[in-house]
Amino acid sequence: MKIKLNDLCKRFTSGEQVLENISYQEEFKSLAIIGPSGGGKSTLLRILGGLIMPTSGEVAFDEKTVTYTEKELLKHRRNIGFVFQSKGLFNHLTGKENIMLPLVHVHGYQKKEAEKVAVGLLERFNLGDDGGKFPSELSGGQQQRIAIARAMAIKPRLLLLDEPTSALDPELTSEVLDMVKELQDDGQNIILVTHEMGFAKKACDKIIFLVNGRLMEAGESPSLFSDPQTPELSGFLSKILEWKV
Amino acid sequence: MMTIKKLFIRDGEGKITVLQTAVNLLLALTAFIVFFSFSLKRLGLDLDFSFLFTFRYRLFQGFGATILLSLTSLVLSLLIGGFTAFGNRSHILPVSYLSKVYVQFIRGTPMIMQVYLFFYIIGTAWGVSNRFIAGVLILSIFEGAYISEIIRGSLESIESTQLEAAKAVGLDNRQTMRLIVFPQIMKRTLPSLAGQFASIIKDSSLLSLISLIELTQTIREISSTNFAIFECYIFLGFLYLSLTFPISMATKYLERKFSYEN
Ligand SMILES: Nc1ncnc2c1ncn2[C@@H]1O[C@H](COP(=O)(O)OP(=O)(O)O)[C@@H](O)[C@H]1O
Ligand SMILES: [Mg+2]
Repeated sequence: MKIKLNDLCKRFTSGEQVLENISYQEEFKSLAIIGPSGGGKSTLLRILGGLIMPTSGEVAFDEKTVTYTEKELLKHRRNIGFVFQSKGLFNHLTGKENIMLPLVHVHGYQKKEAEKVAVGLLERFNLGDDGGKFPSELSGGQQQRIAIARAMAIKPRLLLLDEPTSALDPELTSEVLDMVKELQDDGQNIILVTHEMGFAKKACDKIIFLVNGRLMEAGESPSLFSDPQTPELSGFLSKILEWKV
Repeated sequence: MMTIKKLFIRDGEGKITVLQTAVNLLLALTAFIVFFSFSLKRLGLDLDFSFLFTFRYRLFQGFGATILLSLTSLVLSLLIGGFTAFGNRSHILPVSYLSKVYVQFIRGTPMIMQVYLFFYIIGTAWGVSNRFIAGVLILSIFEGAYISEIIRGSLESIESTQLEAAKAVGLDNRQTMRLIVFPQIMKRTLPSLAGQFASIIKDSSLLSLISLIELTQTIREISSTNFAIFECYIFLGFLYLSLTFPISMATKYLERKFSYEN
């Protein structure tokens, strides 16, 4: 998939500039957004997913510019899967109902068909026994995997994930990343914000590095890690890898 | 010695056994009754409730009127409370401030003042002469403000992630309300709303001030003819308890039920 960002800026009504003149153009299968926290990663991902509007600038996927009006964004969001850091499941619905709700109410499925899709996905990702449970009864890892299943149920053109593992206990991280990897191998287009540098390096083909709202560095996956061009990136990588075994 | 002490002391985990409940409840009730009868003894009174039987028809009517009044007011105050709770958060500022002023005024003033004010000024000026309708309106306007706060509280307790997730899966605003917000606040407000219903029943007694013939007014009228004030008001207390006690049990049940699910 092709992505093109043209001079993208975001300023919230309350404060300073969160994204400053981001321009970027690339063809990717899996794009990882990395950088220190507060750097604007989530904000950028929300703009790409049509959840918030940029202050100025342009976003295009496969040469089609996203129109930032409420009506067009509704359509845009319906083609995209979005997974949040945590608590993205509707907590009054069971896992299965979470997957069914968008299918029935947004994508016009009959209840029966939606249930079939939901059960199929739950089984595929070894969540068969958890579909009947409420989010509060599930582990963080199970919640995230169901959230990913819900996002995938609509067969999105693009799957966006905002630090899907950062709220998890370390031993649960790999079950979620394994699932993301499986989707990548199936050819799913993915943009992922992550602090899991190993995953970004091995499983993603393109990386962008965001600091203080600026795009500091961008490049191909393994080489960007072995050969950082900016002192900011080398500093960031050494800091984040300091205590890795 | 230890075992006797155990009967009266909550254990470290805060659990209470059935036996503890029975013994202590009985003890509390006995203390209450002893104190009451002792006070009556001092007054040299012998209670005789038998005359109430002759008023059974009027009492039954008054009881029915209180139930009808409370149920109607419950429905209306839910509507008022719901609209003003959402109104409070409206992007249209006049609506927001209207809701805020309403809630603040009603909750900040005693009901007795509102009963007189609304009945004599507004009721007369706008020609609401039917006492029952006036009573329902006054009670609903009063309780609506409290219900408004209950609903607003639970609206605020809905996590922003829930709304963002609704947006992300492509729900529009109305679907978000119907499929996400409404079911979530239902669960959270149901126990408090049940409790508020008990308040409505009790507060409806103040409408006797405008001579609306409900339960309290019926008793007032009966006691003013025979001066059996103690019998009348003790019996009145039991009648209200017979309504509010089941509701209070239901509230507890709902609280427990939903605390597990969330
Ligand atoms: N809704 C918002 N309103 C105001 N400021 C915000 C909002 N969301 C994020 N910010 C600010 O924008 C900056 C970038 O945040 P974010 O995109 O979440 O960074 P990251 O995901 O890289 O940690 C932070 O300083 C944050 O406080
Ligand atoms: Mg973030």
